[in-house]
Amino acid sequence: MLTVDIDKTLGTFRLTAQFEAADRVTALFGQSGAGKTSLINMVGGLVAPDRGRIVLDGEVLFDAARRINVPVHRRRIGYVFQEGRLFPHLDVRRNLDYGRWMRGLAHDAQAHTHILAMLDIGDLMDRRPAQLSGGERQRVAIGRALLMQPRMLLLDEPLASLDAARKAEILPYLERLRDDAGMPMLYVSHDRAEVARIAQTILHIADGRIMPRPTADALFAVDA
Amino acid sequence: MFSLTPEEWMAIELSLRVAIVATLFALPLGLVVAYLLARKDFWGKALLDGLVHLPLVLPPVVTGYFLLLTFGRRGPVGHFLEQTFGIVFAFRWTGAALACGVMGFPLMVRPIRLAMESIDRKIEDAASTLGADPFWRFVTVTLPLSLPGIIAGTLLCFAKALGEFGATITFVSNIPGETQTISAAIYTLTQVPSGDAAALRLVIIATIISLIALMLSEFLARRATARFHGL
Amino acid sequence: MSALYRAASIGLCTALLLAFGVPAQAQNQTITVFAAASMKDALDAADKAYMQDHKDKVVVSYTASSALAKQIEQGAPADLFISADVQWMDYVAKAKLIDPGRRVNLLGNTLVMIAPDDSKLSNIKIDSSLDLAKLTSGGRIAVADTKAVPAGLYTKAAFEKLGLWSKAEPQLAQAENVRAALALVARAEAPIGVVYSTDAKAEPKVKIVGTFPANSHPAIIYPVAVTAKAKPATGAYYDFLRSDKAKAIFTQYGFAVLNSGS
Repeated sequence: MLTVDIDKTLGTFRLTAQFEAADRVTALFGQSGAGKTSLINMVGGLVAPDRGRIVLDGEVLFDAARRINVPVHRRRIGYVFQEGRLFPHLDVRRNLDYGRWMRGLAHDAQAHTHILAMLDIGDLMDRRPAQLSGGERQRVAIGRALLMQPRMLLLDEPLASLDAARKAEILPYLERLRDDAGMPMLYVSHDRAEVARIAQTILHIADGRIMPRPTADALFAVDA
Repeated sequence: MFSLTPEEWMAIELSLRVAIVATLFALPLGLVVAYLLARKDFWGKALLDGLVHLPLVLPPVVTGYFLLLTFGRRGPVGHFLEQTFGIVFAFRWTGAALACGVMGFPLMVRPIRLAMESIDRKIEDAASTLGADPFWRFVTVTLPLSLPGIIAGTLLCFAKALGEFGATITFVSNIPGETQTISAAIYTLTQVPSGDAAALRLVIIATIISLIALMLSEFLARRATARFHGL
Repeated sequence: MSALYRAASIGLCTALLLAFGVPAQAQNQTITVFAAASMKDALDAADKAYMQDHKDKVVVSYTASSALAKQIEQGAPADLFISADVQWMDYVAKAKLIDPGRRVNLLGNTLVMIAPDDSKLSNIKIDSSLDLAKLTSGGRIAVADTKAVPAGLYTKAAFEKLGLWSKAEPQLAQAENVRAALALVARAEAPIGVVYSTDAKAEPKVKIVGTFPANSHPAIIYPVAVTAKAKPATGAYYDFLRSDKAKAIFTQYGFAVLNSGS
């Protein structure tokens, strides 16, 4: 269970958010520039809010008043970026292993095989990121985030840089992930169809604020 | 014409030793300083930047004289080092290494800093999300991705250290076997009647070594970059 | 490892071996001598003779006596100092950097005027009537630095005594030490120069065209002294320099041998 209550001013842009995320997949939906990425970065710890609290499963990740700000590398929150951000100097195998190695975790062979199979990346192990297609890169990025055994997954527009065909290819993997991963996911996107398919809860962000929750029908009436 | 006298060998060995030691000691410091200048903002950053580049623009003799004032036996640092650790720089090959290291330092820092600045911070952020603390992030991501710049900086520093003259001769003078590097030997030979042949030999050798170092630097750096396939 | 990395590693190992593998020849002692630049050829020959009979190695740093004196003052590791004038020896003696019991006036020299060996000049009488401008025809007179280097100081004193200094000074090309001045004339960059007769003798590309009268400058005296912190082996070397064998070599190169103490 993720509890977020924060304020942040970035230049002239003011972001305010208050919500709880308990479902498997909670989507942050809105146009670009609405503040979705900033918000998710604050949950991940890459950016610190000006004011407020962030609590995950009872652990306080951020509390401005009590000056608590758990650094990124200790939050154990997996992050799948829009551009994947794989390490260019490491092959796929080492990319996947990075988080586990950094955190000093034991090798879970079963989980490893399972995730590789689920994302269909078993054949890519010896390749370098530059040799992968866009879709392959994203699947590896997802695998890398999962293999560090996080307690939560953040996904920032993971399909945005892919063409329609790739998107269609990866979406099933995301659904599989949702049903299989066993951890909450925060999913950022500006794509209605994607969000409708993946998420159980949809938060609509516009102008730095979370709009009153729309129903699924109302969602289709909104101009995105 | 092409066989070297013992004195010439001495100068070559000394130059190599001095240049290698100077570069080895400059490297860790160079990495730290390059990182600070590339990534951190702090009071006095511009001053540090200026100090690092000072040996590039000051007359080398001035740098050498300053080293003499500071690290000479009667200088504040030199006196302390001698009394406490028995380390002497002035008129020793260690001083030559210090002079060459100081002169080569800006040439090492620049390429490393540029390489670090051109690393996509987002990649480093990704490493953080995967559990890497700032130190491990530096070691596993920043350093490898800066490798082309590190290689270039190291070899540039080495080549400069090999050819350094003004600061060295001012700080440690020109003692054969101890501080007479190739450059000083050539300088001395120009004042010896019929020393031209020997001087020319040393000039050729110094040029060849420096050329090799520079070409190697270019090649290795390009190869390291290619391994990332379009970083 | 790719072939290139292998090659680079081998290259690096070779360089390292070359640089560090050769042991510092310190089993026997190395005697470090600081000597006036004008001593170069004569002292090299004497050292060669010395090293034939002794196992110690002698290395010499040659440059202007003024520079050497200052280096010794700043802590340079010289075991023995040969200066081209008494002034600079007194300078280090005053700073208590030499062993006063082992100091002696070793050699003498004469001041001469030289020209490139193909010059048309010859047989110049050096006295107060000398027309320097005509001599140099617009070129410069190569001398050692007249502010501190002994050869330059003797030169200046001589010109002053002969009343020629005001004419000479603007025409001077002052070099770092007397050998550098010699090289300028040898390369015909300067039409005339003032050096020691021993320098002129050592350089085939110059010829002596005149000798300065001995009374026009202070006597040219080369004192030699063992330094205060000299290695023990230096004593034997000091004795050698005063021996007949060494004296014969110095004479051969044109030096006058003195016998007095300081």
